[in-house]
Amino acid sequence: MSFMRFSYWLRGDRPELGPDQRERLAIETARNRIFITGAMFIVGFTWITYGLVDASVLRQGNEPAVASGTDARELKTERADIVDRNGILLATDLPTNSLYADARVVKDPVESADMLLTALPDLDRDTLIRHLSSRKAFVWIRRNLTPEQQYEVNSLGVPGLNFQREERRVYPHGRLFSHVLGFTDIDNNGIAGAEREFDNELRINNGPLQLSVDTRVQYALEEEVESAMETYSAVGAAGLVMDVYTGEVIAMTSLPNFDPHRPGQAPADARFNRSTLGVYEMGSVFKLFNTAIALETGSANLNSVFDATEPLRVARFSIRDYHAENRWLTVPEILVHSSNIGSARMAMAFGGATQQKYLKKLGMLDKPEIELPEVGGPLVPNPWREINTMTIAFGHGIAVTPLQVVNGISTIANGGIRRPSTVLRQDGAPAGERVFSRETSDLMRRLMRLVVTEGSGKNAEVAGYFLGGKTGTSEKLVNGRYVKNARMSTFVAAFPMQDPKYVVLVTLDEPKGTKKTYGFATAGWVSAPAVGKVVTRIAPLLGIEPANAKAPEIEQALQIELRKGERKLASF
Amino acid sequence: MPFSKYRIGEDPDYVPIGRRLLLLNWTLVALITALSGIGFAMLYSAANGSLEPWAERQMMRFGIGAALMIIIAITDIRIWLKLAYLSYFVALVLLVGVEIKGDIGMGAQRWINLGFFQLQPSELMKISLVLALARYFHGLTVEETGRITLLLPPLLMVLAPAALVLRQPDLGTALLLVAGGGVIFWLAGVRMWKFGLILGSALAAIPIGWQFLRDYQKNRVLTFMNPENDPLGAGYHITQSKIALGSGGLFGKGFMLGSQSHLNFLPEKQTDFIFTMLGEEFGLVGGLALLMLYALVITYGYVIALRCRNQFGRMVAIGVTSTFFLYVFINIAMVMGLIPVVGVPLPLVSYGGTVMMTILVSFGLLMSVSIHRDIRISRQGNDDGRQ
Repeated sequence: MSFMRFSYWLRGDRPELGPDQRERLAIETARNRIFITGAMFIVGFTWITYGLVDASVLRQGNEPAVASGTDARELKTERADIVDRNGILLATDLPTNSLYADARVVKDPVESADMLLTALPDLDRDTLIRHLSSRKAFVWIRRNLTPEQQYEVNSLGVPGLNFQREERRVYPHGRLFSHVLGFTDIDNNGIAGAEREFDNELRINNGPLQLSVDTRVQYALEEEVESAMETYSAVGAAGLVMDVYTGEVIAMTSLPNFDPHRPGQAPADARFNRSTLGVYEMGSVFKLFNTAIALETGSANLNSVFDATEPLRVARFSIRDYHAENRWLTVPEILVHSSNIGSARMAMAFGGATQQKYLKKLGMLDKPEIELPEVGGPLVPNPWREINTMTIAFGHGIAVTPLQVVNGISTIANGGIRRPSTVLRQDGAPAGERVFSRETSDLMRRLMRLVVTEGSGKNAEVAGYFLGGKTGTSEKLVNGRYVKNARMSTFVAAFPMQDPKYVVLVTLDEPKGTKKTYGFATAGWVSAPAVGKVVTRIAPLLGIEPANAKAPEIEQALQIELRKGERKLASF
Repeated sequence: MPFSKYRIGEDPDYVPIGRRLLLLNWTLVALITALSGIGFAMLYSAANGSLEPWAERQMMRFGIGAALMIIIAITDIRIWLKLAYLSYFVALVLLVGVEIKGDIGMGAQRWINLGFFQLQPSELMKISLVLALARYFHGLTVEETGRITLLLPPLLMVLAPAALVLRQPDLGTALLLVAGGGVIFWLAGVRMWKFGLILGSALAAIPIGWQFLRDYQKNRVLTFMNPENDPLGAGYHITQSKIALGSGGLFGKGFMLGSQSHLNFLPEKQTDFIFTMLGEEFGLVGGLALLMLYALVITYGYVIALRCRNQFGRMVAIGVTSTFFLYVFINIAMVMGLIPVVGVPLPLVSYGGTVMMTILVSFGLLMSVSIHRDIRISRQGNDDGRQ
């Protein structure tokens, strides 16, 4: 049909045509329309035939599988999941139902309460009756029922009781991450830990929040720290593992911990995060910072000797050594024998201003930067007198969090660059800020190794992993006074020392000596072995292969001369 | 025959009764019987291998209906032409009657009991409307169908019963009435743009009319439009229906072995969802065979319309065929979930007396058109056809 004829057909009658032509046109129209009707029949039949083939052969009862599959995937929770660095689930939401009452509809409060008590026997009867007779449109009866409880309440058929769909936070690892993750309140608001810090992000729920922690490492750390705490009857403990290059917290524990599903039942002490909120005098661990400052500023080198022949008297204070050598000591000897006198003299050499400048750079004088609300600011002397400079040299008179110590040791071990601590997984190392030169860092690695091979850290040695670290034991300050038998015993170590990757810290709060430790409860006896055990377990998980101590590159990297210090005329 | 003004011998187009029986399209009768036979078998299966309660009654109705069909088929088409307006009027009065009676009695009675089956005036209207419209347009030239004033009476003839049926409320039947009427309009040569105008204004009227509906009425319409609003109702039906069709596969599970149907997962298996049951028991092959039979019947109707030399007969033939096609199409597309659920049975196969009667009577008309296809009828429909 030509376009012209089509348009005639569309417009209809053509008055200019003769009767015969009109008749023909009418017949043509009628025929065309019948053909179009037939074409519609064919289209309709083709469609249902295709539908039949599709339903009976092509899709073959796929319907139920598709339906159940989408059901599972479409479960979108209100609060985002939290996962570890490997994607292991740490916190998630489960849908639950909560029971509330519309007290205006409740017929007989006493009878209803008694019926309800048969299904939920642990409810308080008087409170329940008071709630049910309150005439309020909405009173909570019990939050987050189990499906069985819901079924039982439902089958009671008490009028005025209704269920509200809610979501409940669930922590599949229970107590393991209680201090990292924190917890939520009954309305699912984050009120502690990462749950609180990232509350907004978790509510927006753009996929799971990935933390830097590693569940496997966390488990090993927690188990070893807990075991040490029990063995030495400590009242508490803290443990940390940090990646020296990125500042990521790989594992963090604080004992005693709590069940994040029932935070209210835990004592306040259990909810106290000793790793980030507790500030402690870290003791001799600070000698590493002190030595690094001395080497960096050039006020001392490995051959410098300092007078430790007798206790140092400053005003009414007297600084003594626990294992007094009563002679002049070289810098390596000061660390190996953990000499307070030597460290104090070293600090005197570079002075209080330099000490403050470097401690500030190391982040020891400010609140630790970590994405957790539970952070404790350090206790620093004010004014900063000469005596403070001397005691801070060996870790007294300044109180910091274990997290800051781990961060500071990471800075020393990684080549001298400080990066903020974080609980979020990082892709590669952030820029950071240089505090020490590579040379200082290299010397410090050898010195830290020396402490483990020759000094107080011998009990931490793990064959093939070349730990290097420092012990620190301090008396606890209670109400401004030192208590003699209440100690904080800390051991912090990096490994493997020829190329440090991780720093591990274990602090025991008030450990008691055992027969095996000959009654000693100092860090070298109680904390160092715990660090050793942690490294034994986590090094293979973290992909660090044990190396041969006789290998030339390792000997070259760790070799250091431990020369006996003598009084030399030159030093006067 | 009291309505014929011709005496035997005077009418040049008169066909003797015996000749009419010879001319009767027996192949079509056989096809209709075959389709009904499939229906009996499926109803026998639906009752778990029993003639009771459905198959036997259906057979009886078919017997009566088929006899009626033959009587209608051999009756002169011109008699049906003359009776067209009367039957429309009767159907309309009955429709109004049950409407009023239903309103008064609160029981919403939509049918009149005729003893062996219950006559629904809306079903009678399906045939009468086709007849009346065919009669009306038979009297118009193609040019006259272009005049709007002349289109108003037939438009009213469609809308009045449709509105009455819609009030029942029976949206499915109302849509079938409008669609069946629309086909006649279409064949009569009503201009394309007028269809567009009607369709456009109908769509435009929806939001305005919507505001006048009460909330419960809105909910009804919404549920009708979207069966998923009612997941345990219509949505459930369609899901079960699809499972049954899929489980039938290529060759089916065998006669009386359809587990979906026999374990009552499939609802309404003897009426609206009988096609699904057939698909489950005889598979794709069985379903295609049934579709083939329907296609043949519709082709016959179509060919009869093409070969008819009078306008009335052609329109009746296409009207009947289109209505039959719409039944088949809507039912099968519905059970496969291609269109929303509308309560339309599968003609000749589904259990139900009224539909069986309507279909057989309309096929009687179709065959009458076929037998009298060469008769010329004047526009006025009252002379001997020779102008």
